[in-house]
Amino acid sequence: MNQQALIAILLLSPVVGFFLNGLRFRSKNYILAGTIATLAVVISFVCSVLLFLDLVGMPPEARRITANFFEWIAVDKFKVNAGFVVDQISSIMILIITGVGALIHLFSIGYMHHDKGVTKYFAYLNLFIFNMLILVLGDSLLTMFVGWEGVGLCSYLLIGFWFNDSAKAAAGMKAFITNRVGDAAFIIGMFILFMTFGTLNIHELNALAPTALEASWLGAVTLGTLMLFIGATGKSAQIPLYVWLPDAMAGPTPVSALIHAATMVTAGVYMIVRLNPLFISAPNTMMVVAIIGAATAVLAATIGLTQHDIKKVLAYSTVSQLGYMFLAVGVGAFGAGMFHLMTHAFFKALMFLGSGSVIHAMHEEQDIRKMGGLRKYLPITHATFFLGWLAIIGIPPFAGFFSKDEILWKAYSSSAGHILLWAAGVIGAALTAFYMTRLMALTFWGKSRVDKNVHPHESPISMTIPLIILGILSVIGGWVGIPHVISQYLGEVPNFWEHWLAPVIRILPLAPAEHGADHEALEWTLMSVSVGVAAISAISAYIMYTKKEGSADRVAKAFGPVYQLVNKKYLVDEAYFKGLINPLIRGSKNLWYYVDVNIIDKATYKVTDIVRGGGSFVKSLQTGNMQQYAMYIGVGVVVALSFVLMR
Amino acid sequence: MTADVFLFWFLAFMTIVSGLGVVLMANPIYSALSLAMTMISVAAIFVTLQAYFLAGVQIIVYAGAVMVLFVMVLMLFDLKHELQAFTRGRATGAIKIATVGILSGLVVGAVTIGLTIGGKNQAEVASATKAAGIVDTTRGLSEALFLKNVFGFEALGVLLLVIAVGTVALSRSKGGTHARD
Amino acid sequence: MPETNIITTIGPEHYLVLSALLFSIGMAGVLLRRNLIVLLMSIELMLNAVNISFITFSHYSGKVEGQIMVFFVMTIAAAEAAVGLALAVSIFKRFKEVNIRFFEHLKG
Repeated sequence: MNQQALIAILLLSPVVGFFLNGLRFRSKNYILAGTIATLAVVISFVCSVLLFLDLVGMPPEARRITANFFEWIAVDKFKVNAGFVVDQISSIMILIITGVGALIHLFSIGYMHHDKGVTKYFAYLNLFIFNMLILVLGDSLLTMFVGWEGVGLCSYLLIGFWFNDSAKAAAGMKAFITNRVGDAAFIIGMFILFMTFGTLNIHELNALAPTALEASWLGAVTLGTLMLFIGATGKSAQIPLYVWLPDAMAGPTPVSALIHAATMVTAGVYMIVRLNPLFISAPNTMMVVAIIGAATAVLAATIGLTQHDIKKVLAYSTVSQLGYMFLAVGVGAFGAGMFHLMTHAFFKALMFLGSGSVIHAMHEEQDIRKMGGLRKYLPITHATFFLGWLAIIGIPPFAGFFSKDEILWKAYSSSAGHILLWAAGVIGAALTAFYMTRLMALTFWGKSRVDKNVHPHESPISMTIPLIILGILSVIGGWVGIPHVISQYLGEVPNFWEHWLAPVIRILPLAPAEHGADHEALEWTLMSVSVGVAAISAISAYIMYTKKEGSADRVAKAFGPVYQLVNKKYLVDEAYFKGLINPLIRGSKNLWYYVDVNIIDKATYKVTDIVRGGGSFVKSLQTGNMQQYAMYIGVGVVVALSFVLMR
Repeated sequence: MTADVFLFWFLAFMTIVSGLGVVLMANPIYSALSLAMTMISVAAIFVTLQAYFLAGVQIIVYAGAVMVLFVMVLMLFDLKHELQAFTRGRATGAIKIATVGILSGLVVGAVTIGLTIGGKNQAEVASATKAAGIVDTTRGLSEALFLKNVFGFEALGVLLLVIAVGTVALSRSKGGTHARD
Repeated sequence: MPETNIITTIGPEHYLVLSALLFSIGMAGVLLRRNLIVLLMSIELMLNAVNISFITFSHYSGKVEGQIMVFFVMTIAAAEAAVGLALAVSIFKRFKEVNIRFFEHLKG
């Protein structure tokens, strides 16, 4: 089978699934709907694997499969094809999307079987996969933007899936509107880049990017990339547009796993990695990206410390981990960013699915204060969650360790890096270890605080299989990118990840001071510091939440107002309402009252009055009296004739 | 005053008076008789203009066939008396009469001004009249009708057939489009 | 040209004025009379007025086409009279009335 056909099947399979389920959305047959949807994604996954193997078979520099299906837009010089590219970066993304996606579809069969809208749910999921694939494979920014908007739509539909609950519907709208802000910036960024380079094709943009410095386009490129980054902050939940992601947990838990942890929210990171030569040409943007990423990583982690909803904790953890990814791409460690994206997709999807399993077992209870001691009821969930926990807090040799360590090392050593960025990363790692341990302790360990009427039970096999597979991936996922300092003791295992991405990613040189003999020792030191800090933090959290009851409350009380502030998420939502949304609403209301009602409406009413008056006058002429009609003709003839003769 | 000048004035007088009779007579039968008189006067005017064939046709078709049709229909209706011969409403009536008056005034004015000032002078008209004498024979008419305008002639034949069928269909229906049964 | 010529010399304008007057009379009939049959008669008057002007133009321009047109007009007039009377008959059968005052069903 040729590769273009494979790409077509890869893209169309979820669409077919979407239509098969979407056209019979009232059906409650969850087995059929789930089978169709899962099969559609599995077919896509098989195509992804075949494409990946094709790429592996090619020489490293030529690893690029393109498929131009048709010319989409052609206006003068502005030409956009419905073209798709599978290269080193996008092949990894499609593997993650379809692979993790398939597992989450499988999980959903068990999780959603009691729901009335299960067929609709699977249709939305397939539509999401399709749009995500468009986003990832699109060969121009505009094609990418189609997917970008498509996943936003699916995200909205799925967050507000239980739209009978107005809070959940509102959460969906919040996500949608917040994303609109970012998308507007993304569009402006596209305008600027098109004006500067005359193309939106990603390949051409990347090829032209190095010339930007010579042509003194630096300002335009900086502005354009900055706008794209603002778009990314919307989609990937970074400061200042992160507020929608925690609320997005109103959707079904597998949705949170698929869209709001593993795939869609990483689109921003992916976009920057995709355009890495362009972003490297704009060092100021890179700095902004790194600072925003580091700040988000720390800020979201602190909020995560105080949340009681199991999914909210994971949501803030996601925001924080996305911050890490942006920190990585901001310091020029694009490979590390992608690496963390992949490992994060594994362990965060795992943890979300695990939380889904817990919530399922607890009969929709999400408050971790009402859990505890679930280890003996949910052995498989606990075991897999445990692996995810080890991965996220960065304990070697679990997946998160390698990617997070790579990011921290680059944040310190890269020429775009800084010791403060590294410090923020380490603080974030410590906080992550603390709140994840707290989550584990309150949920699975310690004494049971479960309500008497709730009888937790292990989930069905369709839910545990994805957990187990993701658990395994969380362990071994990091082994493809073992850094040189470690691998030299393991018999020189090559760093597959770096080799794979090398042709498409420009690597920033290390800062000049880091060269030399102590380079290796430094890397070891930094590594042990971050792991040590994480371990200490995790152990203290373990003691605080399992051994010494009430100590957590004492700490909270000691910090008093600070704790309250963090618990209320720094009042960011309230500030947005006060500073932005309410003035906007007030302004709109004034506009409505003074301009719309008093001026526009009155003007249009005047026009209708005139028309109506004229109509009623003309109506009175139509009497049904035929001779009167003849008279009108006569008068008309007289007028016309006198006009002709008098002229 | 020569004979044909007198003839014109006499015929014009007859035409106008009998035309007014059609409009003003309250009894439709008198109107119909006035119309027959008008038709004959017009036929005579055709003769003064040397359109002899058309004068004959005018008498046969109008004064003969069409008038018979009108009178027969009037007999069919058997109208004892006319309730209201004319439309009511002073304002519309005034407008109608004014319209008619102004229209005739305009046309008459246009004709007199156009033909005496802007149009041909008397000499040209006279020469044209002489030339017309050659053309204006029944033979010339038939040549023009059957050679040059034969398509229109045939189309008229088809039209007449359609009209005949349609008229029969209309007359056979019980109340036309407002049929109750 | 002396004033007396208008009386003693008959030109095309005399016939045309006659035609215009006859047309106006017919039009007045159409506008003012209420009897459907008289209405149709008035229409015949108007058509005859037009015929006079056609013949006049034909005569004074020496062209035979005007007479052809008159021929056509007569045919059409006969057909129109036939259809009009047939309609009048059916209306009379239906309403027992020929006064068009009663047929104002097309009111807006």
